Amino acid sequence: MTLIATRPGPGAARPYRFPQVVRRAVAGGQVVAAHLPGQNLAVALLLLDAGAGREPVGKEGLGGVLAKALEEGTAQRDGTAYALAIEALGTELVTGLDWDSFQVSVQVPVDRLNAAVELLAEAVRTPRLDPADVLRVRDDEATALRMDWANPGPRADAVLRADLFGADNRWGRPMYGDPDSVATLEVDDVTVFHSEWFIRPGTLIVAGDLDRLDLDALAAAAFAGTGGGPVEKGGPIEVPLSGRRKVILVDRPGSVQSTLRLGHPAPHRAHPDHVPMSLAGTVLGGAFTSRLNHLIREVHGYTYGIRGDFASSRRFGRFAVSSGVQTAVTAPALVESVGEVSRTRLTGVTEEELDVARSWRAGQLSVELQSPRAIAAALTTLVVHDLPDDYHARLRESLLAATVEEVSAAAAAHLHPDSLTLVVEGDSAVIRDELVAAGLGEVVDHTP
Amino acid sequence: MPDSGYPWPIETTRLDNGLRVVVSEDRTAPAVAVNLWYDVGSRHEPEGQTGFAHLFEHLMFEGSVNVAKTEHMKLIQGSGGSLNATTNPDRTNYFETVPAEHLELALWLEADRMGGLVPALTQETLDNQRDVVKNERRQRYENVPYGDAWLRLLPLLYPPGHPYHHATIGSMADLNAADLATFQAFHTTYYAPNNAVLTVVGDTTAAEVFGLADKYFGAIPPRAEIPAAPDGRTVPATGRPAVETVTTDVPAPRVYVAHRTHPYGTTGYDVTTVLATVLGTGRGSRLYQRLADGERIAQPDLVGAYGVDLAYAPAPLIATATARPGVDAERLRAGLAEVIDELATVPVTAAELDRAKALLSTQWWRHMSTVDGRADVLGRYATQFGDPAKIAERLPAWLAVTAEQIAEQAAELLGAADRVTLTYQPEEKA
Repeated sequence: MTLIATRPGPGAARPYRFPQVVRRAVAGGQVVAAHLPGQNLAVALLLLDAGAGREPVGKEGLGGVLAKALEEGTAQRDGTAYALAIEALGTELVTGLDWDSFQVSVQVPVDRLNAAVELLAEAVRTPRLDPADVLRVRDDEATALRMDWANPGPRADAVLRADLFGADNRWGRPMYGDPDSVATLEVDDVTVFHSEWFIRPGTLIVAGDLDRLDLDALAAAAFAGTGGGPVEKGGPIEVPLSGRRKVILVDRPGSVQSTLRLGHPAPHRAHPDHVPMSLAGTVLGGAFTSRLNHLIREVHGYTYGIRGDFASSRRFGRFAVSSGVQTAVTAPALVESVGEVSRTRLTGVTEEELDVARSWRAGQLSVELQSPRAIAAALTTLVVHDLPDDYHARLRESLLAATVEEVSAAAAAHLHPDSLTLVVEGDSAVIRDELVAAGLGEVVDHTP
Repeated sequence: MPDSGYPWPIETTRLDNGLRVVVSEDRTAPAVAVNLWYDVGSRHEPEGQTGFAHLFEHLMFEGSVNVAKTEHMKLIQGSGGSLNATTNPDRTNYFETVPAEHLELALWLEADRMGGLVPALTQETLDNQRDVVKNERRQRYENVPYGDAWLRLLPLLYPPGHPYHHATIGSMADLNAADLATFQAFHTTYYAPNNAVLTVVGDTTAAEVFGLADKYFGAIPPRAEIPAAPDGRTVPATGRPAVETVTTDVPAPRVYVAHRTHPYGTTGYDVTTVLATVLGTGRGSRLYQRLADGERIAQPDLVGAYGVDLAYAPAPLIATATARPGVDAERLRAGLAEVIDELATVPVTAAELDRAKALLSTQWWRHMSTVDGRADVLGRYATQFGDPAKIAERLPAWLAVTAEQIAEQAAELLGAADRVTLTYQPEEKA
């Protein structure tokens, strides 16, 4: 044999350094920037406290409609002229929304960032919001959601969320809304939401070569004409566990796969167990080599992939497992998945597994944080969760220092197999009897 | 206009066994990207063996002589790395990005599966990964609305026997018929050092990589005869449009229009790239302006056009639109066709051209902003054009495209007689 049999060990470690962070208060707003010397591309991202958590109950999807409406023309030019102006710089306006924030960003060669931020601010601060345009955008968004909801997944996600958090609460409803909630939005909903949340300065995130950028000028453009201060964000929400496992069946006749969404409530982002808990999630379901993927994909061949993780926002969190499995093996796949969650809770993680999980998570910081877009996202995390400049360096250390005992204790404290809600979106007529026979819990049919 | 789309160093060598090695040093971050392009894709598959190249890609993660089953993933993730592999009609690529101190581990793993896969390949592994691939087919193509569009477009664009006639995912029947000996032979035939390019980008030096490449790959024997894929460069014109309509469970009518253009890497395909951006990228594009905004017959999020970057035959240009409620497929199809037809008759303005070039420039630099992005493109240029340094020419070539060239190409290649039209029609609900 011509190959070298001995696996080589690592060379000398070259520690990762997060780029230098610059924070500045300018023109009534905050600037948080990362210096990327020599980088030709730059990203600017305006972060507003206007996430889905700010939408009133019954108005889900408001932020998404407003995001699209921003581009339908401004005080200075119509929608077509706006599109041509910003795309001539080489960027589109990219909007994003999560529970905690609304984000709008541009990505351009560094010498065009100023012009791009001016256009970004023009759309965010002075959109035309012509009623006819707003209604058309609303209808388009409702149609887009209907298209999306024709795929497997969104219905199952919504059913799980409602069961975990209660459909009476905003956080018990889909983050982006659903086709019906969007269809009933009114022009006033959109204009009021804009005036309440989009005129406050917010935070400008910049990732690029700061030697070639003028942060004060960027901030002046981003914060021009703004007013109003930060608003109280609200504390963590206590979400009770159900204490009773159940199966909710969402019918999708003729489906060749069953879409699985298993979950229960979990701690919010600032919980002290955040690091060991997320490592427990990594061992269980967060990586290709994790327990769930190994068992359900590699051993049984039931699926193309299965993942499980803890996710958290400022006010709440959840543990969830998601997959798509062949219809014929729906019940065994669920039984095995629940079994693996139970086993991880009871017996914790092994040193060998944890070693992979912590090195992977720590190494990912140097591997993934390369592009200006990725660095901007990392800065966003600092701002949304009030974290210090050296957060990423400290995160690396705490990942590497986590012990088997700490991670196993977090698994025991935060995994609750007996409180899991198991949502199955698939062909009811084919799988229902087997799900009942599997004895995982009461089987309930979802009624839309 | 930049002189170069690649302002980083490139160094190359070729080992005695034919393995080409490309290195591009960049000390910005303590990470290295390792990338292998094997010059084998679904274009090499004979009839009855569709899907083999892709299934084989799965088998490459299931162990080799010195690497136990599933250990490959565990070692890369355990070193903090990211990894994956993809198969397309042209080629199969394998890649990992790791913290720089684990470069040697990544090279050892890649060498072991290049030189030592066959003895470790078992029937059990084959059966298991065949199931995984069938699940992939269900998840990506069968269980989602419009998911099989690509599977339907290819045979409309390329005749039977053409290397791009069938899709890379292959057919379930062919996969079921596959036996272990066929896969062992597949590896022996194509996974040879003289059929591959190894690219490393990031926190290392060319000297270090060349030394390690020789240490780990140097003794793997070359393969004398590597069969070429069928030649697909000429696709005879049929002289009439290809039309297919599918009535199925979809939420709205959708139309795809496709044309054969030029192979990736040619001046003609540079024109296609800019043309596709003028036609279908962004709110300022012709399709958006005309169908989503102007006539308002298309859903704004689902209108667009793009070229598929295939290098060994005239590559497809695809334009697509999905109907707004109340708009029927026929009207949408007519609207889409009209906008494409006008590329030949209504000259592209300077503003349209500048917009497209600005968007393409950002897209290029975004791709170049990570070591893994750079490694994959260098591997492509070394494999397909024999010289990784040609990577620097692409962006300037896009920026040199003129409005006249776009009009000429539209007149020459985008006519109704060469058009493929695939329409999805929602089922009538009882």
